[in-house]
Amino acid sequence: MIEDGLDPVIHSAARLRVMVTLATLKDGDSLSFTRLQNLMAFTSGNLITHLRKLEAARYVAMNKSGSGVNGVTDVSLTRTGREALDRYVAALRKLLDSAGISPPP
Amino acid sequence: MDVNDATGMSPVDAAALVQQARNRARHELTINRPVIFVSWALCYLLGYGAVWLSVRGERPYEGPAGWALALLVLLAIAALAVTAQVTDRATRGVEGLSTVQRRIYWLSLAAGWLGVIVMEGALRHQGASQGMIGVFTAASPLLVAGVVLVAVTAAWLNWYLFALGVWLIGVAGFSSFAGPEGVWGIDALAVGLPFLVMGGLVMIRDRR
Repeated sequence: MIEDGLDPVIHSAARLRVMVTLATLKDGDSLSFTRLQNLMAFTSGNLITHLRKLEAARYVAMNKSGSGVNGVTDVSLTRTGREALDRYVAALRKLLDSAGISPPP
Repeated sequence: MDVNDATGMSPVDAAALVQQARNRARHELTINRPVIFVSWALCYLLGYGAVWLSVRGERPYEGPAGWALALLVLLAIAALAVTAQVTDRATRGVEGLSTVQRRIYWLSLAAGWLGVIVMEGALRHQGASQGMIGVFTAASPLLVAGVVLVAVTAAWLNWYLFALGVWLIGVAGFSSFAGPEGVWGIDALAVGLPFLVMGGLVMIRDRR
């Protein structure tokens, strides 16, 4: 955590978008790397860099099935990741509240 | 704001980004249920309605006209195609529990409807009257859909769909009393209109 209470692993525009997108999935679901890349409009290298940072923090899990051109990587938010995102959003609301700014619904 | 920028994001920017990303993800990854409800509403209103028009006043009851059955089948195929397309658009690349639940739901429906076709054949084989077959053909697919819907909502935890399933079971049972002519008309309205209302309710809920 940093001083303002916002988790630095999540507090990056790219990683925040990835986390919020994965949080939309139901518990027990994962999203293919390709679909996530399409939704984010990131390059493959850019996305994998951010995913590795999130994976190192145990916020996302990456599961590769198959090999070669048939290989598919699925990405999902872990329970730790979901809790971290909830804490991040709560901290964000608190900061906005204390500054007298109404957060988006 | 550069969305790939890893630094210098204010809390206001972050809050806006969370909202933006959430809206976009929901738009892209959520099945557009209102479209599905409306396509099935049209199938029942127009398809069952057409069959009702073709059998209305038949003495003795001889069964639906070919054109009406063909229209019903075409509308059912169209509704299935819309459902498949809308579902595929939202769930492409998604794997896991919800995918398995959805497959079980569709397999259960397919098995139930196949059973209905086989039973209809058995009724004809046993020499059942056209009237009995008419009631069975109209009401039994609804009964299957209702029972499957009620059963799967145990996993989906969706009270809207549970209520719809119970309604379908009730309509299938009670509309049968209307006989081979009335059952088509009652089912057309009693299923088509609630599906339209359901589509509207879900659309309003999703926009909130």
